[in-house]
Amino acid sequence: MTVYLLCFVLFLVGLYGVLTKRDLVKIILSLSIMAYAANLFLILFAYKDGAIYPILSKGTESAVMVDPLPQALVLTSIVIELGTTALLVAIVVRLFQKYKTFDITKIRRLSG
Amino acid sequence: MKSKDGMTLIVKTMTRLILWMIFLYGAYIILHGHLTPGGGFGGGVVLALAFLSILLAYGRSFTLKWLNMHFLEEFEASSILLFLIVGILGILAGGVFLINFIDHGSVFHLLSAGTIPLLNIIIGIKVGVSLFLVVYALSELKLEKGEDL
Repeated sequence: MTVYLLCFVLFLVGLYGVLTKRDLVKIILSLSIMAYAANLFLILFAYKDGAIYPILSKGTESAVMVDPLPQALVLTSIVIELGTTALLVAIVVRLFQKYKTFDITKIRRLSG
Repeated sequence: MKSKDGMTLIVKTMTRLILWMIFLYGAYIILHGHLTPGGGFGGGVVLALAFLSILLAYGRSFTLKWLNMHFLEEFEASSILLFLIVGILGILAGGVFLINFIDHGSVFHLLSAGTIPLLNIIIGIKVGVSLFLVVYALSELKLEKGEDL
C-alpha cells in the first residue's frame, strides 16, 4: 500500500509543478513527471513478490512471472507521451519565437 | 570539417568514433526484439540517437549535406506501407490480417518467431527516422530571431 501512496505523492509533485511554475519548460517537465507516476502505478499493480520478468529464456520456462499486460500498456503510454512532449516542445518554441519569453505571465498579448 | 557550426574538435572526433557502436547497439536491440527486452521502438530510439549525435556535434548544415533529407521524409512517410504489405501477405497466406505465415522455427533461436522480427525491423526503421526528423524539424526553428513585441 505504501508504494501506491508514494506513487500518488510523485503524481502530486508533478501537479504542483504544473499549477505553480511560471516557466513553460518546467511545466513540460512536470507533465512528464505526472506521466511517469501513472506509468509507475500501472507497473506496480502488476508486481508479484518473488516473480521474475515475463520473458521466456532458457531455464526459466516454469518460473512464476509478473503480469506482462500492464507492461505492454505502459510501453504504448510511453510512445504517446513522446508524441505529446514533442508537440508541447514545438508549441513552446513557437511561443518563444513570438514573445521572446518562457514566462506564462508575460505571454498575454493576443496578436493576429 | 573546420566549419564554425557544431561543437569542438574533441566532440566531433568522439562522435565519429562511437557512432557506429551506437548504430550496432540499436541494430542488436531491434534484431533480438523477439528474444530479449527491447524491440522495434527501443532500438529505433537508439538509432535516432545515433543520428542526433551527428546533428548535435556537427551542426545542421553538415547533416543536410550528409543525409538526403527529402528522401528521408518520403521514406519515413511511406515505411509504414511495408508493415501493411506484411499484413496483407498474411491475408493471402492464412486469411487473417498479420497472421504469422513464416515458419516459427525453434524457440530461443535468432531466426525464429516467423514475421515478428520482420515487423520489429520495420518499426525500428520507422521510429528511428521519424524521431530524428522530429528533432531536426525543431532545430530548424530559429530562436534568436523572435518577433519584437
